[in-house]
Amino acid sequence: MNEEVARETPLVELRDLRYSYLEGTPRAVEAIRGVSFSVRRGERVGLIGPTQSGKSTVVYALAHLLRLKEGQVFHEGEDIASPGYDRAALRREVGVVFQRPDFQVLEDVVGKDVAFGPTAAGVPARETRERVEESLEAVGLSYPEFRLRYVHALSGGQKRRVALAGVLAMHAPLLVLDEPMAGLDPRGRQELFELFKRLREQRDLTMIVCSSSLADTSLLCERLIVLHEGRVVMDGPVNEVIAEAERLQEFGIALPGPVALAREMRKVFPDLSPDLLTETELEEALLARLGANRA
Amino acid sequence: MLELQRNVIFGQFVDTGSPVHRLDVRIKLMSTALLILASFLIDGFLGFLLLLPLLVVLQAVSRIPFGFVVRGSGIFLAFLAVILVFQVFFYPGEVSRGGLLWEWGFLSISTDGLRFAALLGLRVLLLYHATTMLMLTTSLVDLTNGLELLFGPLQRLRVPVNELVLVGVISVKFVPIFISEVERLSRAYTARGVPFDEGGPITRARRLGRLLVPVFVGGFRRADLLTTAMDVRCYRGGRGRTKLRQLSATMTDWIVLLLVVAWVIAAWQLPALLLS
Repeated sequence: MNEEVARETPLVELRDLRYSYLEGTPRAVEAIRGVSFSVRRGERVGLIGPTQSGKSTVVYALAHLLRLKEGQVFHEGEDIASPGYDRAALRREVGVVFQRPDFQVLEDVVGKDVAFGPTAAGVPARETRERVEESLEAVGLSYPEFRLRYVHALSGGQKRRVALAGVLAMHAPLLVLDEPMAGLDPRGRQELFELFKRLREQRDLTMIVCSSSLADTSLLCERLIVLHEGRVVMDGPVNEVIAEAERLQEFGIALPGPVALAREMRKVFPDLSPDLLTETELEEALLARLGANRA
Repeated sequence: MLELQRNVIFGQFVDTGSPVHRLDVRIKLMSTALLILASFLIDGFLGFLLLLPLLVVLQAVSRIPFGFVVRGSGIFLAFLAVILVFQVFFYPGEVSRGGLLWEWGFLSISTDGLRFAALLGLRVLLLYHATTMLMLTTSLVDLTNGLELLFGPLQRLRVPVNELVLVGVISVKFVPIFISEVERLSRAYTARGVPFDEGGPITRARRLGRLLVPVFVGGFRRADLLTTAMDVRCYRGGRGRTKLRQLSATMTDWIVLLLVVAWVIAAWQLPALLLS
């Protein structure tokens, strides 16, 4: 089984990716200093790191939205920077949801914007319409109600959903989300979080979620990659990464509330499981623990 | 396309901390004005040749790589080249005898046309280089202060100097902002299936048309935001405002200005004297 997995070509692979913005000018900024990792099909990976750690640059690189050199980024085993590589096809495969929906929504009306990608890809009108409806419903916006609404009149959370629907309508097997929760109120966060969980279950998606917050990613992903100053400093299953709280703190990443609480409680109850991620899990574990004590 | 800022440097400020950066901004402004004046006054290749060392020294001392300036002017230079080609083919002036090299219908190439186009090209290049170097070596705040001080006396004639300077400086400094906006939008379009990094020049140019409206609308939004920000911080023109950092020109500044004046006069007058 393991051999089979190992033999399978990763969906995405970065090999020692380095990138400087404005390279060759006095204002050059080194954003990525050698990042390597690979993501298998169906995996859900959280890319975390503080601001300026290079997350967005990695996101851009995955869809070839930067000047890339050969031998750095591979999609299904193919070098996406090699001459003659079909970049248009790559961008149909990699759905990028940018950090700010304003940077992504290109049309003024919701329905038109969601249809943008499929139309550009030459999807027939009838199917495009179906995809628009399906994607809007998937992100929790009613098609008849929102189809003709103006984007600029929507709330931040709604705009983000429209941006996401626009990407879902492309039917891309890889979804890359750059700070999907930034700037949302707690309710908006919760709704979006539920939405991602639903998408994860309903569609066979590979997801890469970038965030500066461990709380946002730890529940959506099974694996975490920590970036710091343009380098990968940690890479592993969620519980293993979270277990190294001191290192995380060193990189400026705070533990999610319940996890931090559980850590503190472990001082009193040393047998408390270190894999608790949510309040509910913590509560159940504590109840079980206390119940056991009473018995 | 995806990193347009590398190719358009107009309006950017690159702080290398060089002596040129540290020069008093009024001296820099006056020197730039002199160079602009020189670009109109000088009327021969020898004059421009005489001026060249000054520009080379300026470039070297500023520690801004020449290659960076050239690459950052690619679009401008291409545009200039096209205009000059038109100048040559459609030279309107009188063509001296024997000066005609080639003719086809209304198109012609003549030595006079070539000379005229070459001189025009040099003038525009000098103009462009002088202003670009001023922008590259002067921060927004310095530029505003300098212009306000230089044109300050006009306030007595009820010219709204502060407002005019502010509008001028903002419009120049909006150029890099617009460029990053174009970059951002082209990235969004590319990600969503309309590639801006593929196709020939005509396809690319046609695609650029799509950006016009969003960039324009974005500009209005930004301007609105800027006015609010200025209101919030109680901006009401620079009149009567004191400054933490007073500008004061040192002896070196004056010497530099004197040098530029002398050099420009030399480049303007010497060729005539030498040839007579």
